[in-house]
Amino acid sequence: MSAALALAIFVVAFALIASERVDKVKVVLIASGAMAALRLIPGAEVFHSEHEGIDWNVIFLLFGMMIIVGIIRQTGVFDFLAIWAAKRARGRPYRLMVMLMVITAIASPFLDNVTTIMLVVPVTIVVCDRLGISAKPYLIAEVLASNIGGAATLIGDPPNIIIGSRAGLTFGDFLVHMAPIVTVVFVVFVLATRLLFRKSFQYNPDRVAAVMALKERRAITDPAMLRRCLAVFAGVIAAFALHSVLHLDASIIALLGAGVMLLVTKADVTETLREVEWQTLVFFAGLFAMVAGLVHTGVIETTGNWAVEAFGDDYFVAATVLLFGSSVVGAFFDNIPYVATMTPIVEGLAEAAPDAQTGRALWWSFALGADFGGNGTAVAASANVVALGMAARTKHRITFWEFTKYGIVVTVFSTALAWGYVWLRYF
Amino acid sequence: MSAADTRARLFGGRIEWAGLMQARDIAVQVPTVTVDDPVARAVQVMAVGRLPGLIVVDNDDRPRLVLPGTQVLRLAVPGSYQEDAALVRTIDEHHADRFWSELGERTVGDCVPRPAPRPVTVQADATLLEVAAIMARQHSPLVAVVHADGKLIGAITLDRLITSLAVFGPDE
Repeated sequence: MSAALALAIFVVAFALIASERVDKVKVVLIASGAMAALRLIPGAEVFHSEHEGIDWNVIFLLFGMMIIVGIIRQTGVFDFLAIWAAKRARGRPYRLMVMLMVITAIASPFLDNVTTIMLVVPVTIVVCDRLGISAKPYLIAEVLASNIGGAATLIGDPPNIIIGSRAGLTFGDFLVHMAPIVTVVFVVFVLATRLLFRKSFQYNPDRVAAVMALKERRAITDPAMLRRCLAVFAGVIAAFALHSVLHLDASIIALLGAGVMLLVTKADVTETLREVEWQTLVFFAGLFAMVAGLVHTGVIETTGNWAVEAFGDDYFVAATVLLFGSSVVGAFFDNIPYVATMTPIVEGLAEAAPDAQTGRALWWSFALGADFGGNGTAVAASANVVALGMAARTKHRITFWEFTKYGIVVTVFSTALAWGYVWLRYF
Repeated sequence: MSAADTRARLFGGRIEWAGLMQARDIAVQVPTVTVDDPVARAVQVMAVGRLPGLIVVDNDDRPRLVLPGTQVLRLAVPGSYQEDAALVRTIDEHHADRFWSELGERTVGDCVPRPAPRPVTVQADATLLEVAAIMARQHSPLVAVVHADGKLIGAITLDRLITSLAVFGPDE
């Protein structure tokens, strides 16, 4: 009875989140509150148990990175790089698109996708406006590049943070297992954009002077602060990569990095804390509490057992279903709640695997499917929604289908490439 | 005799403080705009009326937004520049001077921040302390005064509030 009740609350909440008609933070708070009041989540355990409660490792990793990125974005380095690249492209559309995609794809594994998009979209619009060309194809290409690039690391995409924490996968593990296929997918994507957007490329040589008039050096007002920021950021990334030596959780490294960053840049604490997306952190906490309800009432265990029985010993089929299933589901729903819900089920499957390598293959399949599924439709990932919102506010409105017709193509080929990779490397 | 007259008695040309002044007593009629009005018109209304801000109302004359002057100006700044101070610095003087002309037909509704902030309103019977407190808290030099059903009665500007407090306030 309690399992049915927990499932009913969860399904209604998930539907409301997917509909985007109600604030998702309100939904998870009310749903998790209802579960707590009905004793469907394990009392105070929800605050202390990683498996039946809020995963603070994820929350504090996000919190620390939000502070670090909030300070870095004030340095103006992104605007400098994007304008520098646009000037090098001299108005040539494909060259400009490749430059912007490369900058986005290099940044997105280290910054979260939403931040990357918030940094690159305004400067893209300014450059395109100056060139008298539509910014739409460039913005769509950047979002797709961001979702592909973000899949490469532990901190690049929120689903990876959740998966990494639950599966005990380190930054280095992600680099070794995800980065190779992400690189291949990105190279194929860059080549494909020449074909995908061929009808949108427009070259106005008489407008190039307007781009050349932009003064990118003015973007950076404090080079010394920029150097200190980049040094601390490099230290944080190095500490992530040296997990096997330091044995520090990613959240601790992010928090220490945030503290050092505040110290060396002398940034105003109150102003910096305004950069933290508190709604996102509360959303994650509520989401984890909701999933804890499903774990506590046995819904997850039942589903996990069913999945183990259904797949039997054929873990390649399990990996295939996880990869394509996650890609399809991730394309229609926000991949964060999807991953938070599925993670305990995948954990059960991975634990039942005959060896650690096979168990990990399931995790990588799951991560690749969820990450690449984020490109599927205009609502599949937060970065897509944010980019389309910013485009609409600047008179470059991109409709659902304008985005999705490219997104579906990219999702199909990236998922197919990922499937081939999983097959060849792990089975 | 108006409500204000009943509360403040005139003696030899000056008003004696009766301590019962309410928001409705000092509210004045101000021109308003709707979300469908062009931003250019909103700026013009504010400039011509010498207002410290603007009230944006819906079709039922209920305030949807109360924008301080700086936020009306924000409506006129292209979206790409609003959150990116570094990008603004890269714009050369020739183009920077022309941002005003890039407004086009954009409406107030196109440019309001999302999620839109709650309108800065007080009920008709709010005390002047309430009005002062909400102005200070919301950093708004303009407060909309509304009926119980939410419809607009008028507005209180910072200037109007301070003048009322100074003129009608108790003597030292």
